[in-house]
Order: sequence, then C-alpha cells, then structure tokens
Amino acid sequence: MGRTYVADDTVQKYLSSLHTAGGVCITGLLIGQLSLQRDYVLLSTKTPHRDSDGPGEGHSSSGLLDDADLEWATEHAKQVSQMLPGGMSVLGVFLIVPPELSKEAPSTLRRLVFAIEKHISKGRLWDLTEEDITERVTLQICSKTKKALCRSFDIKDPKSSAKPADWKYQPVSSSSWPLVTCTVALDLQISLPLKSLDDICIKEGLRSWANRIKAAVCLINGKLVADESELVPGQVRDSVGLLWFCDNVYQLILSLEDMGSSAVTQCCRSFISIRGAVHCRAYLQPNKPRAKHAVEAIRKDLMNTVSCRVNMLMEDLLMNEFNDQGVMTGVQPLPHRVFVALPASDFRLCDYVFPDESIADVAERLHEMLDSRVTEESIDSSLEPTHGTHTHTHTHTLLTIHIWYNSCYLDKNLFFICLGLLLAAGIAFLAMAASLIFITRLQ
Amino acid sequence: MVLVDDGAMILRLGGGLEFLCQLDVSDASQRQLEVSRSFADLRSRVKAESLVFSLTDSALFIWPNKSFQASLDDVDESTACGELLQSEDDDGGGKKKKKDKKSPVVNLRFMMEITEPTEPSAPCLYRENKKHHCIRMVLPMDCVVTVRSDETFGSSCKRLLRALSTQLSEMEAVTLRHMKDTDVPVPRPFHFSLPTSTELVTIVYPASVDDKGLESFRKELHNRFELPDDRPYFRRSNAFHFPDEPYKTREQNYHHYMQDRMDDNGWGCAYRSLQTICSWFRQQGYMERTVPTHKEIQQALVDVGDKPAAFVGSRQWIGSIEVQAVLSHLLGVTSKILFVSQGSELPSQGRELANHFLTEGTPVMIGGGVLAHTILGVAWSETSGKIRFLILDPHYTGGEDLQTITDKGWCGWKGPEFWDQNAYYNLCLPQRPKAI
Repeated sequence: MGRTYVADDTVQKYLSSLHTAGGVCITGLLIGQLSLQRDYVLLSTKTPHRDSDGPGEGHSSSGLLDDADLEWATEHAKQVSQMLPGGMSVLGVFLIVPPELSKEAPSTLRRLVFAIEKHISKGRLWDLTEEDITERVTLQICSKTKKALCRSFDIKDPKSSAKPADWKYQPVSSSSWPLVTCTVALDLQISLPLKSLDDICIKEGLRSWANRIKAAVCLINGKLVADESELVPGQVRDSVGLLWFCDNVYQLILSLEDMGSSAVTQCCRSFISIRGAVHCRAYLQPNKPRAKHAVEAIRKDLMNTVSCRVNMLMEDLLMNEFNDQGVMTGVQPLPHRVFVALPASDFRLCDYVFPDESIADVAERLHEMLDSRVTEESIDSSLEPTHGTHTHTHTHTLLTIHIWYNSCYLDKNLFFICLGLLLAAGIAFLAMAASLIFITRLQ
Repeated sequence: MVLVDDGAMILRLGGGLEFLCQLDVSDASQRQLEVSRSFADLRSRVKAESLVFSLTDSALFIWPNKSFQASLDDVDESTACGELLQSEDDDGGGKKKKKDKKSPVVNLRFMMEITEPTEPSAPCLYRENKKHHCIRMVLPMDCVVTVRSDETFGSSCKRLLRALSTQLSEMEAVTLRHMKDTDVPVPRPFHFSLPTSTELVTIVYPASVDDKGLESFRKELHNRFELPDDRPYFRRSNAFHFPDEPYKTREQNYHHYMQDRMDDNGWGCAYRSLQTICSWFRQQGYMERTVPTHKEIQQALVDVGDKPAAFVGSRQWIGSIEVQAVLSHLLGVTSKILFVSQGSELPSQGRELANHFLTEGTPVMIGGGVLAHTILGVAWSETSGKIRFLILDPHYTGGEDLQTITDKGWCGWKGPEFWDQNAYYNLCLPQRPKAI
C-alpha cells in the first residue's frame, strides 16, 4: 500500500506556473508535514537559478543533473529546511521534465532525494527513530502534458526502490494544525582542550546538551501527561490576527544524573559559553495529536534552532577570520529568529537574522529561497528578545538599560534617546541645585 | 540512634549539580578564589525560581522558590509530609507498585526548568581565547532532613533548600582542603546515625582520599560530636543504610565449602571461618581490601614464617593459632586465644564468650577435633548456667539457598551437646581495633 500525499491547491497553482524553456528541467522542493496516515504538502519552491555558464542544461553521463547542480539543489534544500519550524520538513522533490528526457527522470529523482536527505541530516543533533516516517516523495511532471507521476522512496534503506504513491490536491487550512510554542533558556558551556579542533568540540558540546534535552521531562500545562493522551487544543489570536491552537504551556525540566563521574581537569585553550533565550515553535499533525508528539516536536525544534544558529555564527566568524578580521573573542550575538507568514499560506516559516542585517534582507532571502514575495510588515521579530542585559560569569555586561525594541539591534535612535535623557536629568539637577542655593540664600 | 518512631520520616533530596571552574594557568594564588566563586555561583543557582523538586516515581513536581507552584492540584505548601507517602504510589499510570508503606523515606530529586525564563535575554555566544585549566565535575548532592509526618511540606522544603546550600558550602570546604594544584576530589556526602543524635548527620568526604588519609578529619568529627575514640562511627562503610536502598553489604558474609568455585570440601573449614571473620571486619569498615582467598591466607602464613613455602596451594588444615596469625598480618587485628581441654567444659566459658560478644562483637572461630566452626553469638544465663551457641557451620556444601541453610541448621542455635565432649578446642577471639 503506497503513501498518500495531500497537496494544497496553492502547490498545484505554483507547479503549473513553472515553465521550462527548451530542453531544460526544473527541480524543486516539496515542503510539508509527515504523519502516520498521510503526508501533507503545504508548500513548494523551485531551486533558485544557479549563476553558471549556461542555462542549466547540464547533460552529463550521470543524467539530467550534473554534480554541480546536485550540490546546488541539496544546499538549497538545507537552507530551506532551516527555515521551517518544527513539525515541518522537506518531504521530497519535484522535477519538471520535457517529454524527451522523461526516461532519465526517475533515476535523477532518486539521486536527488537521497542526496538531499543526507545533506539535511548532517550536523543534526537527533537521529531518526523507528517512530519517524522515512518515506520521501518524488514528483515527476511532464512539461508538455502536465501529467504528474508520484513515487516514494524509503531513505533509511539505500537500496530501496520507488514505490507508487497517491498524489491529490485538496485545500489545506492551517487552522486545523495545532501549534506548540515555548521559550527556552540556553546555558551551554563548552571547553576547548589544547590540541583540539573548534568544530569538533562545539559539535561535542552541542551533542551533550542535546542528550540532556532528549532526557528532559516535559510538563504540559503544569502537569505530567501520559504519552498517549490526546492534546486538547485551545484557541488564541496572535499579534497579526491569525487564529492558532496554542495555549498549552510546555515546560522542559532538566536533571543531571551522571553521579559516578570523577572530576576532570583539562588544560584548555579556549572557552565558549552560549546563553540566552530562544523561541521554539512546531506544528503538530491535525489528526488527534498526542502528548508525545508535542513533546517530541518541541525537542526537535529546539535542537534544530540551536545547532543551526551556532553553526551559522561559527561559519560567519570563520569567514571573518579569513578576511583578516582577527580571531573572534568576546560576546557575539547569535542570529535572531523571525517568523513570517507566506502570502500563499497561513503557515509561518522562520528565518535567522544577523545583527547587521535588516528586515529587507530577510524579505530578499525569502524571495530567493522560497520564490515568494513577502512584505516587511508580515515579518514578526518580536518573539525573541532582541537585546537586554547580558550578564556573564566573566562579567561582560553589554547594556544596562532595559528597553524593549521592535527593531533588529542597537539603533542610533537609542543612543540619542539616552543622550536626551542624560541632558534632561542634568538640567533637572542643575535646576534643583540652583533652587536650593536660592532658598538657602533667602534664609 | 536514629529514632524512626511514629510520626517521623526522612526527606531525602538528591541530584547532580554541574561544577565548572576555570583556573589560571600561571597564577596559582587565585585558584582557591576561583573555586570559591564557582561554588558561590552554584549556591545562587539553587535559589533560582527555576529550581524544581520532583518526587520519585510520581507525577509531583514543585517549584519551592516560586511560591510553591505544584504539578498536582491536591498538593500545596500546607500539605503534611505524611501524605507524600501516598503520592509516591500514584505514578499516574494506574499501576500500583508494591511499596513498603512503613518505609519512612521520601525521595526527592532536584532539577532545573529551562523554559519561560524570568529575564530572557537575546541568545549570544561568548568566547574567551585564554589558556586555562578547566575543571568539570558533577556534584552528587544528597541532603537529608528528618521531619514529623504532620509537618508541612512547605516548611520541609525550606529546610531542604537550606541543607542544599549548606552542603554546597561543606563541599567547597572539602574541595579547597584537598585540592592539589589543579586536581580536585569529588566531594561526596555520607549520612551517619550517631548515638548522641536523633537526626542523621551528613558529612562530606573527598572521594579520592582513602580512610587512612581521612583519619585526622574523623578525629575532629569525633571531638565535635563528643564520641569516644574506639569505634569507627564516621567511616564511609558505616554510613546509614536507608530502608529503601538495596543492601550493598550484609552484616557478614556466610563463607562455606565449595564457594567461589573453590573445592575445599573436607579441609577448608577453618579457612571459611576465617573468611567469615574477615568479611565481618570489612562490613564494619575496618578493612578495605577484599576477603582473602585460600591461597592468600596460605601466603600470609608463609610470609610471617609460620609455614614453609610449599604450604601455598596445599590442602592442609589450619587452626585457631593460624587464624590469629593471619588476622594479625592481613588486618592488623589482635586476637585472644581461649583453650578448653574438653568440649564438655565449653559451657564454663560462657561468661567469657558473652563478654566478648558484648564488648567486641566479632565472630569467633572455634577449632577442635577435626572440625572448625564460627560462633556468631551466645545466649548464656548467669543464674542457670544454661548456654546456647549461634553457630555458622562452614561444612555446608550446597547452593546459596537461605531457606535450606536455616532450616537444616547450617546457621542456627546449638546447645552444648553440639560439641565433641572429649575433644579439646581452641577458640580465636578477634579483638575489635580501638580506632576511628
């Protein structure tokens, strides 16, 4: 029995809007949610155009895609997967081929879907378990007849063959998808021993943190709930007016059990500390979600968002070092998570913004990655704290003024406001001093 | 003696706290300050609102620093501690575990909540590229308070929090005292029940230092608690055993023929008796090494010059004199030797034996005729002269079946007719070392 893929009407609209010119094929991603009974395809996006020597005609012995195209497509898939909140993932790929090339399409799709899965799972802090669904979809569309052929592969088995699957279009509304959210405080301390490599230590540090998250207890609405009990949805409106099922409060509680260990003293060359609060968000399957799904979804989203941000920052800093900006020390803000509703759907995706980037940059990136135009107003950056006091054991206080801002980072405006306040205070003091002197003089 | 009378129960809080400290490589003078600073940081952490207590095997989680928020509706600050024993059975799954309701120990674990931080700040990565020594360990916190079952949970938790903070300070003191350069011992708490106190006393010992190295510390403790210097009240192996913990050691081990795959049927009875005595000394904390094997016993006798080298590996019997020699050589224990020319005279030694069990309490090895036995106790009436001996018979060759052992009398009370009335007997009475 094959899997059933239910795709939203917007996906159909999008796919039919893609035109191929001449003998060129178009690859792209199918994004949505995997669930036990059926999978939902909520979004699709084509692979962005690669600036290469010619229009992607890459005919090589390996098929429709040459290696560079494949690498480009998998990198795109990874970037897109980082933009997805918990519960949503890259389900598979689509390929629009002209009829004359359709013979090679199945093997190309196979290569693509396995390569994408491999690239996405690199550096992930959690592994697929038996409970996870490992089928991925491939959709082959003939550019002339618009006929679609849907097959699925089991990516856990490298030798698996294509299985036929059902593909149907149906309007899919976000309001039936329960949303779980919570804010989690991070506190990771990573020591880098003398003869060690940065990225290995950081990976190790993240993994041991992730193990604690996997073992953490999760309370729902302040109570310990049995795994199989059903979640009761609640309705809440958010700042943009959309209706969400998300008033359950999730609490993660950590404990340290490793009592038998001895004290370890190492000579280290460097020390990294990661602190702050991150916002986690995940969509659950619409059909009778259970407590264990919610807990698992939050855990995965938490691990993904932290590993993604840390890796992004480390890559960025590495690039700075190459550009001779010196080795990084001190406090570096991690990319900030913002959420945006795409025009075609109600689901909110996310993106990470560095302090030197603006909302316009986010919109630009969304256009490139997801082939979709968003307005700056629809980007919500208020869900995570942008700045505040950052106290550290080595006492590096950044700012001691508590003012919550809606913009990305420290603004020139803030500086002027502070100046104004100081001036006002100064003037008030002088006035008071003057009046005191005046009063005493009178006496 | 810890009085676990009606209405008293023990609340035990356990959990791990991660200790992290960066020490300067060059400047050794600041090291103690850095360690103290790390401990101070941990003390402030346990005062945080995100601290959570969880009752083991139950769905109860409470926030003691956050106006006692609880995960179960019927529990709040004013709940009596006695009611927690009922909560422990209810693990929310409907499966009633067979729990000893009489066990007055309530186990709590402390944890940290990481969601909904009170002062969320933007996530940042801080990096320092300075060469340093990094010390990491998990502190095995273990606090105990004795409460009345009608005392409120809220006030008991406050006491536990204070105990947690105090324990961190004690751990700091132990760490600083036993710190060598950049190596620190793991401070581990032990609980002791003392004759001079109704509550358990918790002492923190450094894990890597052995009993001998801690002797001066134990002397201080004996002084502090006004205890005599002849009994090891504060040795780690004499720590209080909680009713719900599995037994790590028994009073003494029953050593008999054919154990440990050693076929000593017919010749090893005195060896087995000696092993039983050694295990007693081990359980009481006087001996840290393992119970000696037959070969080790024989080697000890060769080492003291009592037997030739060929003795090792042979099947030769030993007597109470040899037992005395081995105890002296391997354990540093002196023993008294008693002699009766006839088995019928043993009852006349009743007073001597009774005295021995009263003051020393050590098992007695008795050898005579062709047999050796272990006497664990004696019931002697001064007026009637009637006497019975609690005998552990090493001639048992069966499996480790407690029922058979007691039913068939391999361990049991015997009258004076048990002994060979005509044989002469030697008894070895090990003396308890006057040490702490």
